[in-house]
Amino acid sequence: MKLVRRKRNMALITLTPLVDVMMILLVFFMVTSTYLDLDMMPMVQQQEDSSGSASGPAPTLLIRITADGSARLRGQSLTAESLARALQAQPGARVLILPSGGANVQGLVSAIQAATEAGAENLRVVRLEAPQ
Amino acid sequence: MKLKRRPRPAPQETIVSLIDVIFFLLVFFMLVGRMDATAPFEILPPVSTAGESLPKGGTTVAIAADGQIALDGAPVSQAALLTSIAETLVNNAALRVRINADGEARLTNLLPLVTALEQAGVRDVVLVVTPNPP
Repeated sequence: MKLVRRKRNMALITLTPLVDVMMILLVFFMVTSTYLDLDMMPMVQQQEDSSGSASGPAPTLLIRITADGSARLRGQSLTAESLARALQAQPGARVLILPSGGANVQGLVSAIQAATEAGAENLRVVRLEAPQ
Repeated sequence: MKLKRRPRPAPQETIVSLIDVIFFLLVFFMLVGRMDATAPFEILPPVSTAGESLPKGGTTVAIAADGQIALDGAPVSQAALLTSIAETLVNNAALRVRINADGEARLTNLLPLVTALEQAGVRDVVLVVTPNPP
């Protein structure tokens, strides 16, 4: 005798667990990621160039950052234009930034930005010593 | 005459379109977001448009406005931070250290640390800035 087995209809793949997992992943990525646009400024160069010291004492422009965070060049408050003029008068001058320890990071970054916009090529920040 | 309408079977809601939408959102957030070890305190980086694009990789040192330090999300003391970085330098001499300092942090908390890192042998230290403040 031949028994004919009734064909089982195929089990439907349920998509609900997939949606659940994707939802959890979605929430995870939304919560854990930051959306601030970030850039960087180099603080230590990979290869310190010794050209400045080799070519003898170059003219130096000193930018001081006062304790309240404002930058000053020759007693005047620093702008990109005033630094650009000073750089034109002394081409190839190195720019030294002498920060006060009480200034905040924003003050230093603003001074570096002004120097970069003025076209300073040889820019140094005088660093405070590490406490021993 | 009364016509009896046979009740139509309710159309099955297609869950597939929902999946499509969620999938697109998922991919969007994965691409747009930046996954970093977040510091245990709030940090608003200094604002500057003169920055270069931030390279990936390296360890992140966070400095809060009040001078607290965190290494890759865990608060540490400066001595422990330098020890930890010196250990990492043994295996990876080209280690990049990203300093994520708050714009209001004092330079006395930042510059001596940079000097100490340089003395420890780190050759690549960058300061994180943002062109668009939130």
